[in-house]
Amino acid sequence: MIRCEQLRVTFNAGLPTEKKALRGVNLEIPQGEFVTVIGSNGAGKSTLLNAVAGDIPASGGKILFGDKDVTKIPATGRTKEVARVFQDPLAGTCATMTVEENMALAYGRGSRGKLSFALNDNLRKIFREQLSRLNLGLENRLDAEMGLLSGGQRQSVSLLMSALQPSSILLLDEHTAALDPKTAALIMDISAQIIAEKQLTVMMVTHSMRQALDFGSRTLMLHEGKIVFDLSGEDRSNYEVSDLLELFAKARGGDEALDDDKLLLGS
Amino acid sequence: MSLFSFMGTLEIGLIFGLVAMGVYLTFRVLDFPDLTVDGSFTLGAAVTAALIVSGINPYLSTLAGCLAGAVAGVVTAWLNLRFNILHLLASILTMTALYTINLRVMGKPNLALITDPTVLTPFEGLGLPNMYMKPLFVGICVIAVGILLALFLKTQYGLAMRAVGANKRMAQANGIVVKEKVYAGLALSNGLVALAGALFAQTNGFADSTMGIGTIVVGLAAVIVGETLLSSRKMLMIIFSCIVGSILYRLAIGFALNADFLGFNASDLNLITALLVGLALVLPQLRKEWKAKQAAARANGGDA
Repeated sequence: MIRCEQLRVTFNAGLPTEKKALRGVNLEIPQGEFVTVIGSNGAGKSTLLNAVAGDIPASGGKILFGDKDVTKIPATGRTKEVARVFQDPLAGTCATMTVEENMALAYGRGSRGKLSFALNDNLRKIFREQLSRLNLGLENRLDAEMGLLSGGQRQSVSLLMSALQPSSILLLDEHTAALDPKTAALIMDISAQIIAEKQLTVMMVTHSMRQALDFGSRTLMLHEGKIVFDLSGEDRSNYEVSDLLELFAKARGGDEALDDDKLLLGS
Repeated sequence: MSLFSFMGTLEIGLIFGLVAMGVYLTFRVLDFPDLTVDGSFTLGAAVTAALIVSGINPYLSTLAGCLAGAVAGVVTAWLNLRFNILHLLASILTMTALYTINLRVMGKPNLALITDPTVLTPFEGLGLPNMYMKPLFVGICVIAVGILLALFLKTQYGLAMRAVGANKRMAQANGIVVKEKVYAGLALSNGLVALAGALFAQTNGFADSTMGIGTIVVGLAAVIVGETLLSSRKMLMIIFSCIVGSILYRLAIGFALNADFLGFNASDLNLITALLVGLALVLPQLRKEWKAKQAAARANGGDA
């Protein structure tokens, strides 16, 4: 479903600040597969996700959705296939608009620009139903301003919004990293539900080794813009967090000490 | 203030309600501070007046004036989106260019419309004195436009436009083409402002190359006064507050200039404007600080 061929992304090409974020990524993710992506800071995880979403143009190589070459299509043109949830809970919603208006925006994804009313009772009913899945009482706050909700609530709504329209690909960029453990667990729960329900093809970037192994059926490790490890099937089910940490250390050059708390905690 | 000058103030307040709507669209909805309006207000007046003088139907002339304003908005949007010129600077460039263009359109600095037909002509023989008929006509126009604008902002397209101003990245992730919405928003905003200019020229019987100076401040003042007095999230109320804000602003100016004990005269207008806008900006802030102080005092009292 998602195919990357020799995908390269270079920032500030030709300048002294040149940074090769992706150096030839080859990747094939079949329809319905849930892939978790790990790697240290600056490994290119987010760049890979942003390149697939179309936020960052590819400097070389190709990106395909099925048979469709989307390399040259900007982010707005890929939204029929791609839904996403950002790391920052504030990034996925408009603070100055109401919950129902935000959801209406997501509901209109892919069918943009009509002069019909964005909201009606039928839609409100759908939104209310969706929101009640969260058990946060948000179904009674459709006309509350998004900015009044907590980060966790906003992220929950973002997640629901990503699933309001049929799409085949879901990109999750550390979407639970900014939340407290309880809310993070809730969000992961609902993510897993939605993914199973809609049989989505998923790429989830995470810093949590636990999450990386517990969710999905395949784990990729990126290092300096390349995939250094691709784990799936039985191999993966035998892996523990400690094994992943060892791989991390190896990728970083063996004897280098682990200094990242998140990695050590592995939670 | 006499009834006659009150009706005149009401009429101008209503006309500038259109300017306030335009300013609300750019400053608040799109988060694109746009000073083009100083030029597009005059452009609307100049194009309309020039066409009427040359014998064109006043309604068609008004429409042409609006479209000219919309084009000016598109130019500003283009400078910003295509060449990455800062929005404020892009709009100042367009505004400066428009000053010359307006002079060219009119052929001279001032065009009188005393004997020519205007959009008001068909209503002049109906028995209502001009003093009432003019504000009534303008009021109906402005309220109709206001309702249409409020409805537009509730459509899918309007919602997308608001999302572009509120969160560009989110808008893009939901398939909204940001640039297109900015072009459309600036065209609409400056079209509304040009309509105000066209109506102003026809109700007052002239177009002048300097008539647009300070339009942006007046529009912004109206938006802020309206927001301060009627804070609401309902679209229709927000647009309504633009119109009310504009009328109240005019009345406040009129009162300040007419009140003998204050000792102002007509040339003090800009200082009064600045003071009023400053006050409208400062008051909500002061109210917030005062409330916070009171709450803190209450909390301390509870502890003791």
